[in-house]
Amino acid sequence: MNVSLNWLATHVDLKGKSPDELDKLLTFAGVEVEGIEVKGVPSDTIVVAQIKEAVQHPNADKLKVTQVDAGEGQLRQIVCGAQNYQVGDKVPCCLPGTDLGGFVIKEAKMRGEESKGMLAAASEIGLTDVEDGLMILPEDAEVGRPVKELFDADVLLEVEVTPNRPDLLSHYGMAREMATLLEVPFVDLQIPERGATVAKGIRLEAADACPYYTAVRISGVEVKESPSWLKERLEAIGLRPINNIVDITNFVLHELGQPLHAFDDAKVSGGIVVRTAKDGEVFQALDEADYPLEPEDCVISDESGAALALGGVMGGLDSGVVEGTTNILLESAYFTPSRIRRTSRRTALMSDSSYRFERGVDPAGVDRASALAVKLILELAGGTVEGSTMAAGEAPVVTTAVGLHLDQLDQLTGGSISHDDAASILTRLGLRKDEAGLWEVPSFRADLQRHIDLVEEIVRVKGLDAVPSRLRGSFVPSSAVDHAYDADMRLRHRLAGLGFHECQTIKLISDAQLADALPLKPLRDGDTIRVSLPLSEDHAVMRPSLAPGLIASAARNLRQGAESLRLFEMGRFFRNAGGGKARDLESDSLAILLSGPRRPAGWDGNPGTQDLYDLLAVVQALIPGETVRLSPRERDGWALGADLQAAGQNLGSFAMLLPARQRELDATAPIFVAEIDLQKLRKLSAVSTEIDDLPQFPGSSRDAAIDAPVDLPNAEIEKALAKVKEPLLASYECFDLFVDPSGERLAADRKSIAYRLHYRSAEKTLKTKQVDQAHQGILDHLTKSLPIRFR
Amino acid sequence: MKDQIEATQTEALERIGNIEDARSLEDARVAILGKQGSLTKLSAGMREVPKEQKAEVGQLLNAARQAITAALEEAKSALQAAADSKALEGVDLTLPPRPLHTGSLHPLTLIRDEATSILRRMGFALAEGPEIEDEFHCFDALNTPEDHPARNEKDTFYFDSGKLLRTHTSSVQIRTMETGRPPVRIIAPGSAYRRDEIDATHLSVFNQLEGLYVDADVSLGDLKGTLEYFFHELFGSDTDVRFRPHFFPFTEPSFEIDVKLHVKGQAPKWIEVAGCGMVDPAVFESIDAGRKDDAFDPAKVTGFAFGMGLDRLAMIRWGIKDIRLLIENDARFLRQFA
Repeated sequence: MNVSLNWLATHVDLKGKSPDELDKLLTFAGVEVEGIEVKGVPSDTIVVAQIKEAVQHPNADKLKVTQVDAGEGQLRQIVCGAQNYQVGDKVPCCLPGTDLGGFVIKEAKMRGEESKGMLAAASEIGLTDVEDGLMILPEDAEVGRPVKELFDADVLLEVEVTPNRPDLLSHYGMAREMATLLEVPFVDLQIPERGATVAKGIRLEAADACPYYTAVRISGVEVKESPSWLKERLEAIGLRPINNIVDITNFVLHELGQPLHAFDDAKVSGGIVVRTAKDGEVFQALDEADYPLEPEDCVISDESGAALALGGVMGGLDSGVVEGTTNILLESAYFTPSRIRRTSRRTALMSDSSYRFERGVDPAGVDRASALAVKLILELAGGTVEGSTMAAGEAPVVTTAVGLHLDQLDQLTGGSISHDDAASILTRLGLRKDEAGLWEVPSFRADLQRHIDLVEEIVRVKGLDAVPSRLRGSFVPSSAVDHAYDADMRLRHRLAGLGFHECQTIKLISDAQLADALPLKPLRDGDTIRVSLPLSEDHAVMRPSLAPGLIASAARNLRQGAESLRLFEMGRFFRNAGGGKARDLESDSLAILLSGPRRPAGWDGNPGTQDLYDLLAVVQALIPGETVRLSPRERDGWALGADLQAAGQNLGSFAMLLPARQRELDATAPIFVAEIDLQKLRKLSAVSTEIDDLPQFPGSSRDAAIDAPVDLPNAEIEKALAKVKEPLLASYECFDLFVDPSGERLAADRKSIAYRLHYRSAEKTLKTKQVDQAHQGILDHLTKSLPIRFR
Repeated sequence: MKDQIEATQTEALERIGNIEDARSLEDARVAILGKQGSLTKLSAGMREVPKEQKAEVGQLLNAARQAITAALEEAKSALQAAADSKALEGVDLTLPPRPLHTGSLHPLTLIRDEATSILRRMGFALAEGPEIEDEFHCFDALNTPEDHPARNEKDTFYFDSGKLLRTHTSSVQIRTMETGRPPVRIIAPGSAYRRDEIDATHLSVFNQLEGLYVDADVSLGDLKGTLEYFFHELFGSDTDVRFRPHFFPFTEPSFEIDVKLHVKGQAPKWIEVAGCGMVDPAVFESIDAGRKDDAFDPAKVTGFAFGMGLDRLAMIRWGIKDIRLLIENDARFLRQFA
């Protein structure tokens, strides 16, 4: 909302207050000041000039060469690009040397023509533009006089009022608040008494939506331009003057915060009917658009049933005051906030009126605003009030007497605010202590309903500076979330130590990205969760897996020329299960992606390309205490699909992007992705609480060089080794693998794979013979159970 | 015999003195001290030495053996030293390092961990709640009326099921109080969602950190002391912190917190960093109604809550001008946090 300081000054003396002081005053009253604009350049060299001649610039289509009289005894030539003036108009002229906030006007040649100054638009001299082009000054402005004498300089505050304070949505209300805070007098308005009312002429059928409706009929008005004081008030806060009647309703709205509406009485057939919308009713608003209504909407219509306005929101296309209107019907009413909010939201129609009604206007302001507007209309447009004010319903009572519990106030403030101070603040805010000791709240403060609301006011006005800080708190036990957080941070640090960059991606992805998902368990139809109204197709589905985001991040980095990728992300994924039987499941996973050279380019040759065993090594490094292996499992849309296994359970999914997908991403090296169940990983990555004693006796190793069919997987050999259950076999590792597709050094359908087996006893040093015997037993078993031989 | 010994020693030492590589060293050792070596043969001749000379000849032989062994050792050391220094010849100490991958944590993780660490040190425990929430936990229980502006399909992501993506982490306050009992002292970092177009200052998914402390006699002084302490830890102990009155449906009184930031070459300015307030009694009443007990009777307990945007804190901490950098994961950006 825009607030003009000149306007405020009609109610409260703000002399000597700098804009910064006012900013601080309002900020600490809970009103956010979003901008302060000082209007009007206080310069003596911006003067009134009359345009005497304007001819086409010989070298520029869009420019004219003007001769202007700036009261200097001779004409001044100025080149000007505006189109909106006529010869004879008076406009602001910035003489050479004028400083427009750092931009100094100089004499210059423009496209070869002399230009001794600048003719200005309103915005160029710190005023508000009301039309495009030059600012056209009043005909009676005296040539040569500084423009600043015609316009008061003003300070415009752009403020954001919180929704609980509709009483501040007017100059009157804002000034009242400032007077309270500054402890200076508030200058009230002189508004005539409304006089008696009659119920005739209004049929109130929708009292739920509109508990109180008033209207005044004024005949014989002259619709014309408003006087300059009124136009300036409106222009100061960025409103465009229209005609005296409309301007008066706008003025009263911004003065008192009560929206009014003036109908052309000629368009009103009979009396006013305040009703709810009929089935299928369509309302044509001022903006010329059609709005289908629903029965909860409140319509102002005449007795013929024709809708004149959507109550409290917007007037109808044909019912308003226009040039030629002579009789008007002036509405002032109270609409129920929640009803206005719903109508405004559903129709997406918002207005200065609906903004105030949906927050709640002062019920006592309905009559005052009407009376003020009538007074102004009679003064500025003439005419006579026909009969009495018509009124239906009753202004609702929105406030009640509230108790202030002093012990609770003391507890909350630590006793730092005295009871006298508290009472004094409430009194200044317009509250009054009744005989029962309760605080009566003025009608414009419907936000004050409970003890805590009074406390809030006291603290707000007093300021939190008055309350001393206290440093203390109860001890509470750590939670399961704490432990998960710590585990996740350990994993993150380890991955960063392994050379991975952590990513964070948006949890909403596109349908197309679902193809990149690598979920822990397969997705069936109905397992993805989609928002009802996505902002865009790119963010329509809750991610069921972190892989799509990570692949998108990889693609971005590839486009930027990155070669070696090591990325991970940790976080929540969302899915249904069983084709939608179990809904809205949330869990956490870790996705890891790698691709490209094993190390960044250096001087010592090719480090090789990262492959699936590099990724497997990373997973292994996260849980060094477990044996990590892949178990092949086909995955649609992926190559080399596998389950990640450790400690006898499935940890997650593992795969390589299909070469076709890799080419789509312009990646030159294969891309490998793993997605791991974070709940399982947290447990497995925890440092074990049981540690092994160091071996007391030396061990001994034997190698087994196996000649096997090329397609015999390592897993088969490991399975066979495990089956032997040789108690002396402490551990083993695969230390060599050789294949030769050319068949030159080894048949192409064979491979040579070698294991080193470590033997040890916990009780004694083993004799060579014992080790040989155990080793031979293992070799025998392997030969028996597998199609292999030893070399 | 004595002459023979002397001659053999002289010859041997001369040979050793001319040795140039490990091979000739070993040849020399075999030729002198080996089974058929010159000195070994002489030792064998001891048998024929007359008894009265045995001691003297024996001494000579021993001396010769010692001298030769020492010379061999010396030659071996010299050869090793020469080989060692040769091995290091030509090493270019000025080459750049062999490149290694250096990873990094995401800036949002860093700022979250910093904030979380400070608050956990102050005795807060972590809590969490679902991101796919229901209207009750996101709005109703937080004293936000049905027709509140936030509760519409324009600003909030809804699902066909009627659930929604939580618009703030404040729903975790409710989740925690539903199951726990005072004292409740928790923080909940997490994602929240708002139906905002993504641009330089907005993300539709952003990160918040929620805090809640409920106990007997929690006061405005506790709220102020806790958050001042927190922001002093985060931004430095000389940072000015101010509390501006504000309005939130679920706290009263409510405040927004600004810190005064000093950016080099700019006038210091107040930057909004958090919202906070005393838990509105209506929130406690709603919790107790759901629990069917009086664990959170507003006559017995009070509390404060706060929430801050972690994305915003990250932008302030590192002077990040475009929030989208936080979700694009450009390695050139991420590397700077290594």
